[in-house]
Amino acid sequence: MARKPAAKPSPPKQPAPKPAPPKSAVADEKRTFEPKYNWMNKTRQWGVRVKPGKAGLKLGDLNVGIYGETPTQWADQSRNPRGAVPRRGMPPVGYSIRDKAGLWADCAADLYEEAIQRRWAPATDVPWDTIEPLPDDVEHAVCQVCTELLGYANVDIETITGWQHQMSYGYHEVKQFLATASFDAARHYECFRKRALANGGGLGLEGPGMVNRMILESRGGWTEAVVYLLLMRGAFTMTLYKYLGRHAHNDAERFIYEHALADKARHVTYALDHLKYAMAHADDVLQVVRTLIAIGEGGLTRDLRDPVLAEALAVIFAGGVAKAAGRGMAVYGDMMRDYVATYLGYCRWLGVPRDPARLPPPLNEYADSTDTGA
Amino acid sequence: MSEAANGAERELDLGWMDRTGPLETRAEPGKYGLTIADISIGDYGEAPEASDNLTGRPRGAAARPASYRIGAYPVRSKNDIWLDNASFLYEEALQRQWSSATDVPWHTIEPLPDDVEQAECQLATFLTEVEFVAGDVPARWVSLTTPDFYEPRQVLLAQVMDESRHMDVFRKRALANGGGLMQATGATSGFVGSIDLSRDFTEMSSRLHVSGEGSVLTLFRMGELMAQNEAEKVIYRLCAQDEARHVAFGVMHLRYMSETAPERREEIHCYLDEAEGGLIGAANPVGQLTPTSESMAIILGGGKDHFDDGMNKIIAIRRRQLQEYRKRVISAGFGERFENGRSRVAQMIEEAA
Ligand SMILES: [Fe+2]
Ligand SMILES: [Fe+2]
Repeated sequence: MARKPAAKPSPPKQPAPKPAPPKSAVADEKRTFEPKYNWMNKTRQWGVRVKPGKAGLKLGDLNVGIYGETPTQWADQSRNPRGAVPRRGMPPVGYSIRDKAGLWADCAADLYEEAIQRRWAPATDVPWDTIEPLPDDVEHAVCQVCTELLGYANVDIETITGWQHQMSYGYHEVKQFLATASFDAARHYECFRKRALANGGGLGLEGPGMVNRMILESRGGWTEAVVYLLLMRGAFTMTLYKYLGRHAHNDAERFIYEHALADKARHVTYALDHLKYAMAHADDVLQVVRTLIAIGEGGLTRDLRDPVLAEALAVIFAGGVAKAAGRGMAVYGDMMRDYVATYLGYCRWLGVPRDPARLPPPLNEYADSTDTGA
Repeated sequence: MSEAANGAERELDLGWMDRTGPLETRAEPGKYGLTIADISIGDYGEAPEASDNLTGRPRGAAARPASYRIGAYPVRSKNDIWLDNASFLYEEALQRQWSSATDVPWHTIEPLPDDVEQAECQLATFLTEVEFVAGDVPARWVSLTTPDFYEPRQVLLAQVMDESRHMDVFRKRALANGGGLMQATGATSGFVGSIDLSRDFTEMSSRLHVSGEGSVLTLFRMGELMAQNEAEKVIYRLCAQDEARHVAFGVMHLRYMSETAPERREEIHCYLDEAEGGLIGAANPVGQLTPTSESMAIILGGGKDHFDDGMNKIIAIRRRQLQEYRKRVISAGFGERFENGRSRVAQMIEEAA
């Protein structure tokens, strides 16, 4: 309260304090309050004048002087903004991710701004009126694929939001980038549901869920979730979007897949950058990632042995059931080879190369045997 | 190489074609495009009162009996989180996203007298500090909520995005004009009854959306009084737009709760009692005197020399905060607390006269 603390005894003539009449509290505040100004000049670095550049005033531009110092450990458990003078003695908020190696990626600030610049609104940006009735089998397949993609977006949402609040305030760039990533996932959740319900179909059968389970069960830290969610599943989802975009039936679908692909590419970029950082800066992460991806490949192959997604994609790629087994599956094979090549390339870049011959089936069937993995 | 990898023909099962949700659904875009409200048709529009969806499947999709129960969602009763206008709030959020990098006219910021710049930086430090409690906490609740209630989840995801932008726009402001960050206040620390620690969604929402963000909304709407330049005016205006949605979420959810779960009304009143206790506390920049409200007085008055003018404006804003809070609680269906003597808000308003 604004009233002065009763540190000094009252002067003798003043009557004993009595309950304040209704209007007095604020009147007192106005009359008697002497500002302390004891917060003034409390700063760790003054005189900072960051100027906007060609792309405006970007989050990364603020990283000057002490404001750009991101220590390898963040002990402060409050929401003290990085570079501010902390307030001591406050009960901790309780962040569990306090090592920079547990979440950092240098590109996070740029990806954050890029996500904002490239935002889109499914309701109004997708040209829904270009959707025309499709043959029943094709519409069915589109709806089935949308149902699976909804499941993927759901796991994106649940996983990212489950970790985000555990991340220390000192690494705000990553928290902020992840806010764009879970918002992207919300948009994907929305637009695949909209597509499924817009053209005489409906939702299909829920996905098999092994990879979903693996992602949601990654308790070993955010880095583990990144391996499963953003690297393995992320690269797979990107490949799906790419092939679905090529086989889109109308401008609405083309728009959706192109934009979802651009969003997903940011998530995968963060993943690669983070994993590289974590491996370089924390003991044993490289080995752990090597183990995780071997486990992850096992989970992935269990989902891939389920025929539903492959068949629905084949129907789309072939333009109907009639040629799905032949032409459709051939394109599906191309898509899987594309995915495996991309995935092996990522592993190589990260310094955890995979031997294509030792991938579990059916993944090994899609690997280029000349891709030595070295 | 297997047949599949060769692209050779293989028998297709196609059994999935018979295992679907309701078919022949044809949602039509309306005046605002194809919105979530537009796809809430037939069975797909029906959110269950209690969700038994433990596999995370999209609402309305056909279930696989073999699916893993990977979604042990604590929030799976509809009235725990539901509100009637989620679609509107979510679609509005998408339409009104903005960029703190390019939509704020940063070049309009000119050097200010040292006391005013220090006050601006103190306020910006406080806002940078507290904005993301409204990101951290809703994010956590999203991860705990069944996708059968995806509509409110979408709104909360948009909120996390909004708060991320708020956190960054005030950091940008602090570092754009020859100042810097100052001292944090610790206003969002883990006290019992704080937004972080709530163990019930409605408890959290009453505190975060209704009382906390409600106060912030009133403040941001006074941005014309606070702003020293066009950039700050734009910041407050855009943030107020976002906050209005967050507050609306809380009010509409409380209303739904009050109508559908009368057995919880007394409990909600207890949360509101607590919230009212903190309405003019240290976490409110126009609350009772703290470094942040001292800085507000300098900003509103136009310098240390006009501190008293600033204080008068603070008290006017505080009164308005309280009045708007009362209106929101009445609108949410809990207005009897202002009639039956339970709430002290009327007295607080009078004191701020
Ligand atoms: Fe905010
Ligand atoms: Fe907010």
